[in-house]
Amino acid sequence: MLDANAIEKTVTKVSFKDIEQRRVLSINYTPNLQYAWDNGLAIGRYLAELKRGRIIGKKCRSCKRVLVPPRLFCETCWRPTDEWAYVQDTGTILTYVVSHVNWDASRVKPNERYHTPAVIELDGTGKDQGILHLIDEIEPYDIKIGMRVQAVWRPLEERIGTITDIKYFKVIK
Amino acid sequence: MALTERIQKNIDVGYWTGEIPLQYIYTYGRAGEKFFRSIKDKGVFIGARCDTCDITYVPPHIYCEQCFERLEDKYVEVSSAGEVYTYTFLLKNMDGSLKEKPAILAVINLEGTDGGVVHLLGECDPQDVFFGMNVEAVLKPQDQREGSINDILYFKPC
Repeated sequence: MLDANAIEKTVTKVSFKDIEQRRVLSINYTPNLQYAWDNGLAIGRYLAELKRGRIIGKKCRSCKRVLVPPRLFCETCWRPTDEWAYVQDTGTILTYVVSHVNWDASRVKPNERYHTPAVIELDGTGKDQGILHLIDEIEPYDIKIGMRVQAVWRPLEERIGTITDIKYFKVIK
Repeated sequence: MALTERIQKNIDVGYWTGEIPLQYIYTYGRAGEKFFRSIKDKGVFIGARCDTCDITYVPPHIYCEQCFERLEDKYVEVSSAGEVYTYTFLLKNMDGSLKEKPAILAVINLEGTDGGVVHLLGECDPQDVFFGMNVEAVLKPQDQREGSINDILYFKPC
């Protein structure tokens, strides 16, 4: 049986202050964790097309979907995908969230807009799949599932071939 | 079932770079704290002695590995000299570039103990190192010691 008192005796309580003031010795180390991530064939083409202001996917003839972002392999049909296909930059909000929390876990300040990421089903891709992007130009709590949206692109000279070449999606009638 | 496409020109290969922010603080534990504190304050190596098993652990442990006896009140001072148990040469730096002069990394079995420390050998050339070579620790001046393994500069032949 575990005896709490016996365990307590073996525990050394160390606070962050003890370490800071070097009452307890320690090694502080920051490893240099740089990485380079290979885009690969499918994402490489996807990002190159975003730079040109187009969204490209890859079609699977078996399930009739156009996979966006493109993959070389269809995960539902378990087979290689077929031809490349451009899709629209308009779509429908499948789901969304109003986030009061920033990326670094701090709270959104009162005068700032809440973050509103959404999953957007692009026109021409097929049902129930979407890409994750931001919604803007609308009050966060006015967003509804099923709203029609369109991509707002950065100007050509600012695009560098990333998903943020689309600034956000705006609601259209 | 092979994939139907491949990249033909390597200039088509794109990539993303990034950095993973990671930081750690490692505390030495109870026995480790004693070991490094003793080097820092007194310049003396300590080990932990289990009389039952006739083993002297360096660096010290709080338990005997063989009989699980508590060794926290069994710390003993040990010699800072010993012999080379095994060694290797480091020709390259962490980033892969060649070192100007090879570093000699050795496991040193301290005299009268069953343990050892991994450290650099200094004041000797690679061709002169051999198994069983007698060496002793060279410490930093006391005011520069900060309680880490680097308080020992290197081991030198003696």
